[in-house]
Amino acid sequence: MPASLSRREVLKWTSAGAGAAAVGGATWLVGREGAHSEQPAPSVPTVREGQSGTTPPPAPLPAPVVANQDLSSRLLVVVELDGGNDGLSTLVPYGNGRYYDLRQRTAVAEGDVLALDDTVGLHAKLANLHRRGVAVMQGVGSAQPDGSHFEMMARWWSGDPLHANTFDTGFLGRLADAIGDPAAPAAAVSIGSGNHPALISRKVGTLAVPDAGAIGYLVGAEDDAMREAFQRGYAAFGGAPGAAMIDLLRAVKQQSLSFAQAVGEFDEEDDTYPGSALGQGLRLAAQLLATDLGVRIVHVPMNEDFDTHDDHPGRHPYLLESLDTSLEAFFTDLDNRGLADRVLVMTTSEFGRTARDNASAGLDHGTASVALLAGPVNPGLYGEHPSLDTLDDNDDLIATMGFDQYYATVAEGWFGVPAGDVLAAGATPLDGVFS
Amino acid sequence: MIGSCAAVQDAGMADDAALIAHALRRLTFGTHPERLAQFDGWAAPDVVDALLAEDAQNLEPPELGSDDDYSKLPYWWLEAMAAPTAGVHERMVWFWHGLLTSSLDKASPALMWRQHRLLREHALGNFRSLLQQITVDAAMLYWLDGAGSTVEAPNENYAREVMELFALGRASGAYTELDVRAGAKAFAGWWIDGDHDDEVVFDPDSALNEPVEFLGRSVQTAEEAIDAICDHPACARHIASAIYTAFIGVAPDDARLAELAQVFTDAGLEIRPLLEAVVRGPEFLQTRHNRPRSAVEWYVSLRHLYDMEIDWWYLYGLGQVPFAPPNVAGWPGTRRWVSAGAEFGKVAAASDYAWDTATLDEDDPVGDLLWRAGQFEIGDDTRAVLDDAVGAVSSRRDLSTLLHALLACSPEFSLA
Repeated sequence: MPASLSRREVLKWTSAGAGAAAVGGATWLVGREGAHSEQPAPSVPTVREGQSGTTPPPAPLPAPVVANQDLSSRLLVVVELDGGNDGLSTLVPYGNGRYYDLRQRTAVAEGDVLALDDTVGLHAKLANLHRRGVAVMQGVGSAQPDGSHFEMMARWWSGDPLHANTFDTGFLGRLADAIGDPAAPAAAVSIGSGNHPALISRKVGTLAVPDAGAIGYLVGAEDDAMREAFQRGYAAFGGAPGAAMIDLLRAVKQQSLSFAQAVGEFDEEDDTYPGSALGQGLRLAAQLLATDLGVRIVHVPMNEDFDTHDDHPGRHPYLLESLDTSLEAFFTDLDNRGLADRVLVMTTSEFGRTARDNASAGLDHGTASVALLAGPVNPGLYGEHPSLDTLDDNDDLIATMGFDQYYATVAEGWFGVPAGDVLAAGATPLDGVFS
Repeated sequence: MIGSCAAVQDAGMADDAALIAHALRRLTFGTHPERLAQFDGWAAPDVVDALLAEDAQNLEPPELGSDDDYSKLPYWWLEAMAAPTAGVHERMVWFWHGLLTSSLDKASPALMWRQHRLLREHALGNFRSLLQQITVDAAMLYWLDGAGSTVEAPNENYAREVMELFALGRASGAYTELDVRAGAKAFAGWWIDGDHDDEVVFDPDSALNEPVEFLGRSVQTAEEAIDAICDHPACARHIASAIYTAFIGVAPDDARLAELAQVFTDAGLEIRPLLEAVVRGPEFLQTRHNRPRSAVEWYVSLRHLYDMEIDWWYLYGLGQVPFAPPNVAGWPGTRRWVSAGAEFGKVAAASDYAWDTATLDEDDPVGDLLWRAGQFEIGDDTRAVLDDAVGAVSSRRDLSTLLHALLACSPEFSLA
């Protein structure tokens, strides 16, 4: 066994924000020292009480961002709040007494609300988004909701609120097919290690990338016979056809190589983002979008636990804060890169939570929630807030907007893609969200 | 029992070395060189029998109690998986962890270790006992929020997931939303006493004081609810299908599933007879290379090939850390292990460590490499890539480095 192998003590999960240090050992294939050092930060919300709850100091109101009118230049970042984000704690109906009746243990106090009108307001932890302006879609869900995470995620990913169609592609994959260049190495990217069902496409390439450093191994071999030989061999794995599973692996190797070659190496600019999976994912998103590779859509799973069955008041504010601070870093980065007028951010989440709270000061799987659009949008409230008086048979919220309508709004309003091209018939976009 | 001879004939052209390597890839975590040597010259069905007959590994438990516990646990288990003695029992512990999930995200290392011991104890035992005990296991009570749930405002999380994912399956149509709600009440009343070593305690005052209707039965306690689940015909089918898929690589057809569910039911939900029926069936040795290696399988196999310890941190990038499944459904299966994202992580790990691999045989470096890797059915194209590499670098040491890295990144090495 090699004595020189410097096994690194693995960082404690609780300090995950710092990311991982470089791995020991020779780096004979690395284009630059430490290219592989940016392991994605693991998401471990185990230290809830240790997180600081500081609200950023008020900053001057930024000038409203006017959308770039060249539709073909527009880009989309989808942040998935996985686990089921509670709408009533995100857009708080603080002016409705019924809310405080239903939520005896988990209601957000009026003092923690940034009012949008005299009945509803954003949670105070969304201060930066509120300051920049956000379009809030109310009552987003399905007319026939389901309580299963996996069923509802599958519906959101495929773009099918009623599970009525059998799409074999993902909504973002179809959108990428409509706007992307089939010749680009990837028109849509998901941050992560596994292909994402939402990005399954027919015409364009889509793929998953865990972190920027990982790409460095497959590029830059000019002065090293070993690396050159490795890359030549690796490229040859993408050659002739064989058994089905081998073919699949070959195709993926070919795609990895083309993508790595197209990306090359990112600038080592200062990392101004939070160390969370979302922060680092958005950092990579900004790098990919700025590189002009033909990537039009980036999907960023937040990888924090919105499934607040217990201790909702102790957890949910920090989830919103994490979202808010990461997006603030992202928008600041976009401002600096001159991309702010081209990038729309949309949130998704498989469902909201129960109207009433449970004994663990938590909220079980619910139905309708809110969705947020940030960037070059007309800020304000869209759609109708779901009724707190009239609930469904299970005592849950009744959705006032199908999520296909939300999707249609982005497809038509932002990209000019007719809703019928990417969604089943009947999905009508909302007016007025984009100028 | 289906005869072993038929299995060998159906396996076609492959020789015993290839079949043995396949059995090791599926019944352990890879082809450890000591295992390949141990079974050299055997007939493949005898290897399957020998592996099934082995005892569980006798392992020193991890020393917990420091700040490093969060990394010690995955490290400890990966060591156990990579050991030459890792066998069918270890494989089944891993299977149950992926099905009856819990995670360090919500449960402490001490409680995850307590649950792990439970999985080790029941891995090849009785499914009903396992499900009964894991239902009131402290890590599970935290993970799926059973801890502190009361009948007045029951937490639905466990009731839903135990039926949807663990024991019945959503597609079975075996339960309704009403069963989820009734089950939540039956599972209420359990909490964890943080002042007394996280002991699990039952509080009758916050539990049901009268029966509810659940899966067509009248139940009042968690134990009765689990019995109702285990007695439902969908349960035997769900578990049989999951075990078949894990070892064969694809889901069983209807006839095979019915047959295996019957075996499992007749055995009183004993796990070992079900597993034996699955891996002694003709399709076990026949259906090779039909699924990708999971990240953990690939990582352990890289350790076997390189014959060294490899930092498990790579498994973050590859998307699979033991004791930390991404959600209650465990790690997404099969096709999602094949992705550009995973490629980047594999190339990184394979490249970082290739420099200190064994120096290969001078006369037949490629043959030596393929033996070490347990790769006896390599494709012509991959063989050509390796042969071409032989002329590409000058020194024997560099060649060994290059060949190891290339094989670790070959399509074949990514298959289980």
